[in-house]
Amino acid sequence: MKTGFDFARWFKGRKVQRFLVIFTFMAVPLLLLFVFTYLPFGEMVNFSFYNMRYTGTRTWVGLQNYIDVFRRDDCFGALKLSFYYMAGAVVQLMLALYFATLLSFRVRGGSFFKGAIFFPYLINGIAIGFIFKFFYTRGFVLDTVLGWCGFELDQLPFWLRDTNINNISLVATSVWRYMGQNMVLFIGAIMSVDGELYEASRLDGANRFQQFIHIILPNIRTIVMLNLILSITGSLSAFEPAYVITSGANGTATYFVLMDELAHVTQKVGLASAMAVVLLGMILLATLLQKLFFKYVFRSAEDEDKGAGARRERRLARYARRHKTGKGELRP
Amino acid sequence: MKLKKVMALSLAAALTCSLAGCGNETAQTAQSSTTADSKESTETQSGGEDVLEEELGYADIVLGETYADLTASIKVMSHRTDLADTKFPEYIAAFNEMYPNITVEYETITDYAEQALLRIEQSDWDIMMIPAVDKKDLGTYFVPYGDLETVSEQVRFANTWVFDDLVYGIPSTGNAQGIVYNKQVFADAGITQLPTTPDEFMSALQAIKESNPDVIPLYTNYAAEWTMGAWDAYIGGSATGSAAFMNQELIHSASPFSDRGDGTGPYAVYKLLYDAVALGYTEEDYTTTDWEGCKGMINNGEIGCMVLGSWAYSQMVEAGPNGDDIGYMSFPITVDGKQYASAGPDYSYGINVQSSDDNKKAAMVYVKWLTNLSNFSYSEGGIPIDVNGAYPDLYSAFDGIEFVADEAALPGEETYLNDLNTQSELMINAGGNRKIMEIVEHAAQGDMSYDEIMESWNQAWSDAQTTLGIEAQ
Repeated sequence: MKTGFDFARWFKGRKVQRFLVIFTFMAVPLLLLFVFTYLPFGEMVNFSFYNMRYTGTRTWVGLQNYIDVFRRDDCFGALKLSFYYMAGAVVQLMLALYFATLLSFRVRGGSFFKGAIFFPYLINGIAIGFIFKFFYTRGFVLDTVLGWCGFELDQLPFWLRDTNINNISLVATSVWRYMGQNMVLFIGAIMSVDGELYEASRLDGANRFQQFIHIILPNIRTIVMLNLILSITGSLSAFEPAYVITSGANGTATYFVLMDELAHVTQKVGLASAMAVVLLGMILLATLLQKLFFKYVFRSAEDEDKGAGARRERRLARYARRHKTGKGELRP
Repeated sequence: MKLKKVMALSLAAALTCSLAGCGNETAQTAQSSTTADSKESTETQSGGEDVLEEELGYADIVLGETYADLTASIKVMSHRTDLADTKFPEYIAAFNEMYPNITVEYETITDYAEQALLRIEQSDWDIMMIPAVDKKDLGTYFVPYGDLETVSEQVRFANTWVFDDLVYGIPSTGNAQGIVYNKQVFADAGITQLPTTPDEFMSALQAIKESNPDVIPLYTNYAAEWTMGAWDAYIGGSATGSAAFMNQELIHSASPFSDRGDGTGPYAVYKLLYDAVALGYTEEDYTTTDWEGCKGMINNGEIGCMVLGSWAYSQMVEAGPNGDDIGYMSFPITVDGKQYASAGPDYSYGINVQSSDDNKKAAMVYVKWLTNLSNFSYSEGGIPIDVNGAYPDLYSAFDGIEFVADEAALPGEETYLNDLNTQSELMINAGGNRKIMEIVEHAAQGDMSYDEIMESWNQAWSDAQTTLGIEAQ
């Protein structure tokens, strides 16, 4: 009567069911991740070894594209522009931190200011590009506002034409856009700081600035770190302001804009893919360096190193040995 | 329980679907190779007895008679988003009076040049405006209209998309290359004779600047980018008088951008731009020029002239109340006492090689109808493609000026220009806007002389020739 293997029973079994549930829930996101992230990425890496256009035949060139990336002056020249964006990122974080600290205390109209500062982040990047194109146009918004402040039009530079300042103009739009987002993250982190710490510090006579340095900053260190990493890797791959406002002309072509030009206009798809892979490598490296840097420079009390625990252990043991009589309970 | 089974089943289905998606590329190429095979086999089979394949010739179609009873539904992809709700429905209605059973649908795409290269592979269209593909790939995507000799009897610029003596594209309209200008501005500046040499042109710009400092003598349209790339269109016929320059001589010239010493050639074309910017005859902040705004400005006499193809003329006329002031003149270069004007085709219609036979026939009929009966060229101020069509009025200033249509590349060299463009990154006549924008930047900042720029281009060009093994003198 009894069959060797009861499929229905096996299927209903706890192990199989658990596996099925896990599999069903995991499969879809993993599949999406694979199809839309890893597969195209693999293809791109593959492209980077070919001399190819979008149409027509491709020829295998090995590492030639990578050699070209490092040999051409424009590829790494474009990376110099990233310093503008990195400097912008630091300014942006400091401003965001400043506003976040101000607004996390009780301020009249605080919600309004929070909303107003966050608002630019909600606008589409392309729209921001167009807004600032007019903003910087000779005799338009910025010049008019500065005119009210007493500047003559002749004294003002051409914001986008002058190659000494046009990158700064572009970075300013990026700061304007992302500062609000950083600020909101900082406010969130500051909210989670224990309120009693403020009270205690006030009793000790700390002023607002000391509270910021000694209480707020150490407590939100992780989120500051995260934002810094995101901003710096983001500034390596800056694209939208330069692409929309000046279309990368006039010495504003960032690495990404150059990559876009090579891939879509010149159709050196292989070279552009190689550039993308190199950029990925650099971003990974930058992230790693930052991690190491912060690990060794900013160590705080709460993450004590493992050696300290062991040392304490040994001290306790020594103590216990010296006072042999009944001090054994000190040992954990 | 049931639910779980359904879930498991749908999951399996989703997996297989996505796997099929991954393998799509190979499947597609396999498909196209089989269609190519089957086509070959039908051709060999048909040989003498079946004339169906031969009937698919552009020249043999008599509008209103050939395929009059054909029922088909075709889809056209076009770059003219501005005509999607105006001219195109009119064309379809007029076409359906002659061919009531052929349904035509348009899809217009902004950013066409890039999108078309992706859509070409999808094959969900019957007629498309041929994007920048290699000529040797034409046969993989498009149906031939016939051999070059037969088609050129009926069509101007038939040599635009030719490979192995077969024509794969019929141009939608033709453009002459010249300069759109405001007659009133020129007259106010005391210019009675249109300039015919670079020197005369520069003094005309100077005269405009001096007579009225508020007028911008030459508007570059730098920020629009493609308007800068448009300068490439003048280095062929307009600057050399040679129909062979663009596709035959340029690829074998080791230093095409050198000074010829007589105010002709590519050197003279780009020098006009460099000098105009360096001398301040252009707008003061070129980074914020406004393409839509410039149309009204030239119409109102705030701009002297702009270097744009003849297609731009009608837009400038319609942009304001002073349409009568707008004129069109030839590019100010005189070669051995004679002026020439490059004339060339706009986007060309290509028919999908993967469409069904009926759709191919219907598409070819529609292309011929568009060419001969739609009057598209006249409404665009272009050169009619039908060889019997007369030139529109705007070419009145071109009396005594010879139109030069570029000759096709020599057999076996069809891909050279594209290859050199990619390798040298100059992208001449192929979206190479950046290099011309750099001329403006260097001229404005004075950090690089014109000769140095041309020298660097020559260098890039000859390096590319060496890399690709193309002979050069």
